[in-house]
Amino acid sequence: MAKAISKIKRYEVSREDQVEQDVQEVKEAVADHKDSILKGVELLKALDDEGSLDAMTAFVKAKDETLANVVKEIDKDQYEPLLRNLPELVFLLGEIDMRGIRELSLRLNHGLETMKGRGTTDHTSFLDLAKALKDPEINRSITMLLHFLKGMGK
Amino acid sequence: MNEHIVVTINGKEYLAEPDQNLLELINSTDEQVPQICYNESLGPIQTCDTCIVQVDGERTRACGTTIKTGMKVQTKLPHVHKAQKESLERILEKHELYCTVCDYNNGSCEIHNTMADFGLDHQSQSFQPTSYEKDESGTFYRYDPDQCILCGRCVEVCQDVQVNETLTIDWDRQEPRVIWDHDVPIDESSCVNCGQCSTVCPCNAMMEKGMEGQAGFMTGTEPGLLKSMINLTKKVETGYGPLFAVSDSEAAMREHVIKKEKTVCTYCGVGCSFDVWTKGREILKVEPSAESPANGISTCIKGKFGWDYVNSDERLQYPLIRRGDHFEEVEWEEAIAYVADRMTEIKEEKGADHLGFISSSKATNEESYVMQKLARQVIGTNNVDNCSRYCQAPATKGLFRTVGYGGDSGSIDDIAASKLALIIGSNTAESHPVLASRMKRSQKLFGQKLFVFDLRKHEMARRADRFYQPKTGTDLVWLSAVTKYILDQGWEDKPFLEEWVNGFDEYRRSLEPFTMDYASNLTGIPEEELKRVAKEVAHSETVAVCWAMGVTQHMLGSDTSTAISNLLLITGNYGKPGTGAYPLRGHNNVQGCSDFGSMPNFFPGYEPTTDDEVRARYEKAWGAVIPKEPGMDNHEMIESIHRGDLSMMYVMGEDTGIVDANIHYVTAAFEKLDLFIVQDLFFTKTAEYADVVLPAAPSLEKEGTFTNTERRIQRLYQSFAPLEGTKPDWEIIQLIAKELGRDWGYTHPSEIMHEAASLAPLFAGVHYDRLEGYGSLQWPVAEDGTDQPLLFTEGFPFDDHKAKLYPLKYEVMYDTDEEYDLHVNNGRLLEHFHEGNMTYKSSGIKRKTPSAFIEVSKELAKERGIEEGAEVKLLSESGEATGVVTVTDRVRGKELFLPLNDNGKSAINYLTDNRVDKDTNTPAYKEVAVKMKVLKKKGKSPIPYNNHRRGNPVPQIGVKVEKKWQREDYVFPGSQGGR
Repeated sequence: MAKAISKIKRYEVSREDQVEQDVQEVKEAVADHKDSILKGVELLKALDDEGSLDAMTAFVKAKDETLANVVKEIDKDQYEPLLRNLPELVFLLGEIDMRGIRELSLRLNHGLETMKGRGTTDHTSFLDLAKALKDPEINRSITMLLHFLKGMGK
Repeated sequence: MNEHIVVTINGKEYLAEPDQNLLELINSTDEQVPQICYNESLGPIQTCDTCIVQVDGERTRACGTTIKTGMKVQTKLPHVHKAQKESLERILEKHELYCTVCDYNNGSCEIHNTMADFGLDHQSQSFQPTSYEKDESGTFYRYDPDQCILCGRCVEVCQDVQVNETLTIDWDRQEPRVIWDHDVPIDESSCVNCGQCSTVCPCNAMMEKGMEGQAGFMTGTEPGLLKSMINLTKKVETGYGPLFAVSDSEAAMREHVIKKEKTVCTYCGVGCSFDVWTKGREILKVEPSAESPANGISTCIKGKFGWDYVNSDERLQYPLIRRGDHFEEVEWEEAIAYVADRMTEIKEEKGADHLGFISSSKATNEESYVMQKLARQVIGTNNVDNCSRYCQAPATKGLFRTVGYGGDSGSIDDIAASKLALIIGSNTAESHPVLASRMKRSQKLFGQKLFVFDLRKHEMARRADRFYQPKTGTDLVWLSAVTKYILDQGWEDKPFLEEWVNGFDEYRRSLEPFTMDYASNLTGIPEEELKRVAKEVAHSETVAVCWAMGVTQHMLGSDTSTAISNLLLITGNYGKPGTGAYPLRGHNNVQGCSDFGSMPNFFPGYEPTTDDEVRARYEKAWGAVIPKEPGMDNHEMIESIHRGDLSMMYVMGEDTGIVDANIHYVTAAFEKLDLFIVQDLFFTKTAEYADVVLPAAPSLEKEGTFTNTERRIQRLYQSFAPLEGTKPDWEIIQLIAKELGRDWGYTHPSEIMHEAASLAPLFAGVHYDRLEGYGSLQWPVAEDGTDQPLLFTEGFPFDDHKAKLYPLKYEVMYDTDEEYDLHVNNGRLLEHFHEGNMTYKSSGIKRKTPSAFIEVSKELAKERGIEEGAEVKLLSESGEATGVVTVTDRVRGKELFLPLNDNGKSAINYLTDNRVDKDTNTPAYKEVAVKMKVLKKKGKSPIPYNNHRRGNPVPQIGVKVEKKWQREDYVFPGSQGGR
């Protein structure tokens, strides 16, 4: 005669048995993935040697807080120009003619170099200027400057 | 033959079908046009204006254009492109793009994808929020007007696909928005939570609550932070390019965290399939797809949102063994050994036929197969049955008698396509919601006529073109009388009868008593009306008849099912698209459970145990001797226990102690068993009587196949591993078999299916490879994999390929009397399933529908002096049940309705008795006479304020886009600023 009953005696696993079971499970997983785990250990060691592990741990632990701080701070109005500039800057980089800039800076360096000696002490008269125009190097510089000024004004 | 017409698109010629939609054609070519509101399953809605093209020199919406011969279409001209761009920009005025922190950013956001494909980089007008709040009042989904682009898909699906008619867009107000009923919160509307609005929403405006804060890596943050992040994403963006790049990467990362596996719904027999999105064991959402063969994009509340039971705290996680006055949780090894030992003891001592097995319609085909294999091969008895005994066995019987296959004669598509649909004794809208929606759509949009025969004025009855309320249990009479009248008038399908049907003369003679006068007297339906029905049935081009428990759960259930089939034969309504008999199967796998052999008289595929050739086939394959004589069915098992002829019962996945008729009689039987094994997810009422309880795993935790009401076999895939400590039913049964000395060695359910297919000719070509993904097969399946969506196109499965008319008699077997003066009708509610072991675990569903209730007619309430919320006790000859009353015109006169979805004091089976269908032993659940005792005259209504039954639907066709176009602020895109 099996009357309806609803009392249930729960299965109790002792703490030791539970640990035993869990350890066994982990052991098996380790055995199955030995190579990956060893590589993982190497990665951890590398990170630790660098000191990055501590920083990462701290960051992950405080992830929500850090994210909130950063996002809330950056969302303030004062950063708006900065935020707008950031991507603009990226686009600017894309538009600038790097080869031209490099050439220009090379010439600037030459100029600075030449300027260093007498260039800082000597006096130049109007006649010296007219004379200097005949110097092919000075003439090229002046021509370039004039063209630059013209282009900038467009 | 098909005529084709030629259309030129961007200078290239294409062949099109006449009357084809232009956008549909464009989508079938390599041409690309942006589109957001258009969805293949819904058809053109014409609200988003993004698919503007030039047709013969005029700009117009491609989705609103029907193809004509010689049409010239341009999709890329500058001014066309400009108009498209303008439309897309208008959408972004309504919808803020913060994709990376949006829960809908899962690669399928149609706004995101359309903008990205179009290459839209900047927008001229900025986003304009509305003045509306988010509507978070509902349990299962929420609406965000600030993200809504007013595409109207949700309205279209609610009005014309689900046909619940709750949603509209109010185009007349300053800021149009989607509204529920006459603008009430979601929670207080007529919304039935089918969830289809959130399925078809192209973005995150209408979204499942399960997704909120769950889907993304950064969407779970607190609201303030989320807002900051949304602002931030907007500030950083200088154009949409970088935004899309970041959000696409994030979406790709989500793919690794969110698992999407196809499953087949485990509730009713419609067999909806969909992807389940999970993160670990958490269910984010259920996503049906256009490819889902039975349901397309449709779902009901249970399939879309009713999965909480899987993660319920109440799941059993250890096998239980009865020890004295309590159960003890034990290890699997111990439980299996105990079961095997006790089974062996009983078999040795009393014989194999002292053991009985009951399979579950919730379990898979493979599990039904192994259960009957356990009974037949390992134990050596045919005592195996399943719960179709409680519902549709009579329908199967009726069809076997007449047409030879015990299943739906066609597909849901055929029901939808029929010119005249008859529903007899089926509350389809609540019991088979998605199938009912197909019928509601056909009736609303495509002129299908719907006749409903039922006691109760349920939703389908309200919608019907004609609704009749025959006296309970008299369907056989009007069916036969209508058939006779058709013959008397000479309206029968003579060529069909001559070619395909046997037994005409004898059948014709058997109809003699069923005169109009006789039928009208017994059923209460006037003669004139019956004649009109006869005329309509005889003259409609195609007729499909759907029926359910209102027919089968009677003492004449099999005969009434037979009468339906006879009528269909006489009018030639078999074997053609849009015709046939549709006994709507109640559980997800009630069809498959019988199909795969859990029946006392049949091997898998309905081959009789008494057939020597068949038996020899199984004996050879299984290396065992199998008894020839049919075993006991459920009902006989219970009786045998009382007689002392059955000593062990093994019940898988069924709360027999609640769902079988006459609870007291059944539970008294359980008490007499020597060994009672119950296998379930939960500690059910039935489990309380068990000696051993084995914790099983539900559908989401295993693989296998289910067969729906259309005979459609579909695979389910595993969403997550079985809950710790539980096992799929097939594994449990296999362990028991092994312990009993039969090592089956199945490693995957596919191996079981392939064994079954190799033995049962009905499933010869069923193979897992053919069922991949959303693939399906409708039996019979030939060895080469050919299946039969529509049966009987080339005759009937009898020797001469002819169907049989089956003569019937009628006698009154049940009525109320002076003492037991009220008739109790019972059935399902939309939002609960069966005894409620699964759906009552959903807090969301419980919140809307916390308990069963007793429906009382206005007349009766007045007569007994009771009002809404009254408490009553119903007493039958077998027992009593108490419940709270709701007064409604869904029932009339002295008929009550009690939902069967309750396992407490209101359980219907406290009232039912041992009456059964004379041919199949199916309990006559629907023949219950009671008397009513009033305990309290009035009280709190059992129907909460936020139950959909209190809502006020607003029926209309579609979204009424004309009203948008008529608005003063509406300008057709591209018409400003000229060309």
